[in-house]
Amino acid sequence: MFFKLARKNVTRSLKDYSVYFLTLTLGVSLFYVFNSLEGQWAMQMLAKSAHYMVESILIFMNIFSAFVSVVLACLVLYANTFLMKRRKRELGTYFLLGLPAGRVSLLLVLETLLIGLMALAAGLVLGVLLAQGLGLLTIAMFSAYPAGEQFALVLSVKAIGKTVLYFGVIFLVVMILTGVSVSRAKLIDLMQGARKNEEMKERPLWTSVLTFLAGVALLVVAYAMLLIRGMLYIDPLFFLMLALGTLGTLLFFRSLSGFLLRVVKGHKKLYYRGLNMFVLRQFNSRIHTTYLSMTVICLLLLLAIGVTACCVGLNDTIEQNTSSAAPYDVTIQNYSGDTTVADLPARLAESGFDPALLGEQHDFLFYYNDPAVTGIPADDAYAVVLLSDYNALMALQGGQALTGDGLPLVTDQAIVTGYSGMNRYLVAPDSWAEALQVRRQVFCANYRGDKQTAEDALAAACSSPAFSDGLTLSLDTRIGIYTENMGSKILVLFMGLYLGMVFLLTAAAVLALQQLSQAADNVPRYQILSRLGVPERMRDRSVLTQVALSFFLPLALAVVHSIVGMTAANAVISVVGQVDSVRSSLVTAGFLVLIYGAYFLATCFGARRIVKGNG
Amino acid sequence: MEPILSVSHLQKVYGDRGSHTRALDDLSFDVLPGEFVGVMGASGSGKTTLLNCVSTIDRPSSGTITVDGTDVTALRGKALSRFRRERLGFVFQDCNLLDTLTAFENIALALTILGTPAGEIDRRVRDTAGLLGLERVLEKYPYQLSGGEQQRVAAARAIITAPALVLADEPTGALDSKSAGQLLGQLSQLNREQGATIVMVTHDAFTASWCHRILFIKDGRLWHELRRDGEDRRRFFQDIIGVVSRLGGDAADVF
Repeated sequence: MFFKLARKNVTRSLKDYSVYFLTLTLGVSLFYVFNSLEGQWAMQMLAKSAHYMVESILIFMNIFSAFVSVVLACLVLYANTFLMKRRKRELGTYFLLGLPAGRVSLLLVLETLLIGLMALAAGLVLGVLLAQGLGLLTIAMFSAYPAGEQFALVLSVKAIGKTVLYFGVIFLVVMILTGVSVSRAKLIDLMQGARKNEEMKERPLWTSVLTFLAGVALLVVAYAMLLIRGMLYIDPLFFLMLALGTLGTLLFFRSLSGFLLRVVKGHKKLYYRGLNMFVLRQFNSRIHTTYLSMTVICLLLLLAIGVTACCVGLNDTIEQNTSSAAPYDVTIQNYSGDTTVADLPARLAESGFDPALLGEQHDFLFYYNDPAVTGIPADDAYAVVLLSDYNALMALQGGQALTGDGLPLVTDQAIVTGYSGMNRYLVAPDSWAEALQVRRQVFCANYRGDKQTAEDALAAACSSPAFSDGLTLSLDTRIGIYTENMGSKILVLFMGLYLGMVFLLTAAAVLALQQLSQAADNVPRYQILSRLGVPERMRDRSVLTQVALSFFLPLALAVVHSIVGMTAANAVISVVGQVDSVRSSLVTAGFLVLIYGAYFLATCFGARRIVKGNG
Repeated sequence: MEPILSVSHLQKVYGDRGSHTRALDDLSFDVLPGEFVGVMGASGSGKTTLLNCVSTIDRPSSGTITVDGTDVTALRGKALSRFRRERLGFVFQDCNLLDTLTAFENIALALTILGTPAGEIDRRVRDTAGLLGLERVLEKYPYQLSGGEQQRVAAARAIITAPALVLADEPTGALDSKSAGQLLGQLSQLNREQGATIVMVTHDAFTASWCHRILFIKDGRLWHELRRDGEDRRRFFQDIIGVVSRLGGDAADVF
């Protein structure tokens, strides 16, 4: 009987609070996806090459997961308190019927347990599917690197265990807190819970206008500080800037509705059109309780946008660096080239490397840039490459060859795989070779046939002592560079997406819950409107406008914040490389639209259903 | 004279075939323009069902209700909303005013949803508020108003659109006797001076005594009808008490 009541309540709340359930499920699945990365294809591949990044990625994942679980715990607690508030009357009825407090607590604990178990199960199923999607995404991301890897359904038992553990703890905390709060509740408060309305305090509108202007002024000061000082220096002034920005945001939201009301009231035509008056007053009447959450949501959105955009941008930067850093499959540099120019392919063959594994290749020399010969200052070009070598190398990497005109020419076109220290050099006519001094010997080649086989064979040959006998050699391969970069790429991208999505999810869920509860509070008001003959379409539009205002006002300010923030962040990242802001903005926008939009739509439908269902 | 409200053979049955309750049973009556009609009856007599049907909130099982030439039982969706906002005015016991709007805005709302030009709104709201003595409370919120003032604001909102019919459901139900008297005096004045047709449901003989004509409903049927015919209000009140005392069969049912 008892269990039956709990089960019925759960089924009902699943229908009424689908947003809550959805959020729990998404939270669980996100948590699983990012903790299952270990078992993912890309990570396994990295681990196979015993990459040092794997360790740090996993450590970061653990730290972030702890942080994320705290965020999600707060969200679950918030949502739960929220649902309890709406059920005060129902709880009061249980007490009135003579159910002892202990049993009511037990009932709620059972309900929480059931919902938790269902969300956990649904979330894990969704998580396994999403993890597969993420796997495909990584393959697409690293398309440059070996095809033919097997892609199978990965089920990370460890991640499942971790998810169950973390969420188990969260639900346990929620259950305990619910139990405690119920056993301490007073019957009179429960029964009259619905009647306690928000106190309507009318503040003179001119104070709103003043507050609004003050808020905007603070924001402008904070923006100016950020743009002028940049993001590199973290000192007291930096925190002052953060404080100013936060305070500005707070004041902005606190006064926004009053300011809007003031402005629209001045335009009688607008104010007296349809339900505009009603919508604005509704919004204004709520603002004293919602401005705080709007501020928090705005900041969460800012974090979500900022983190996602910066990570996608940084990721692009890394990608660009990778392709420019590895024009051939392999480069061997002979630092002893100024004294001994060696026959590197022959040495490879001696060390047991099958020459058939190498395809096109070119051996060339870097010369010292002697200003007396070239007429170019040593600081402008660090080395000299002969025109015939340059063109052969370009042919090897599929680049543009040079004619003999306009030489000597300073260029920064990548001509070796890996790091040479000579990223700006001079292309000179072949005839100058006599006058210049050899600096280094470089051998570049592409593999023939299966790249991984060639790579393994090469690595084995190069590690034999006979190969480097008497020489200082360095070996760089494209696969090696890719693996290295892929590590940082995964780290940056996944961390960013993980955090960004969790922040976004949290913000959207809080908003959705708030709006749905407001919709329930608004039912009597819409009933009055219906009696007055307000057509359904007009009422729907009014509901929609209210939801839209609360979803898009924080978003709008967050977007402005993040544009300013990213301008400043670009200055930092551009030290590493230029951030492609168009692409990163698009990707960010995509994520926003997907998650935030889904929540917005769900809230709109939910709110409409609540209002209509009782209207 | 053509009746403004005509109810004929109205039936309302609740429940299914197995067990049903007849809330309204073949009820018919007319209301002429400019009349102030009261509907009285004990709890469960069907008077609220009647008002809900007339005000298009509920739908009768059979029979017709015609308001100003329109059969409201045939109206659906948009036409229904349109009818409500253009032809009807409501004053209810509670759930009347929007608590987030000022008195002025509550009255103005009835006009804005009709699409009245913005320029006219200020003047019309102030004129109507003047009729009900609300000039000084227009900028206040409902929670700052007394119960009587709230009901007068509701009345102002009901008549500002010049509806064919004003429906009032226990408008004095939540008021003390002084405020009730004031409100009824003003409704009666609106009826006399503005020619507003009012149908008011009440179970209170004092409230009913302000009407021209009273319909007594018992078990869903029209049981008795009482006309004031220029009689003194005190005398009319005595007449009503007389009918009411017979209405329920015993005194316990009356109030």
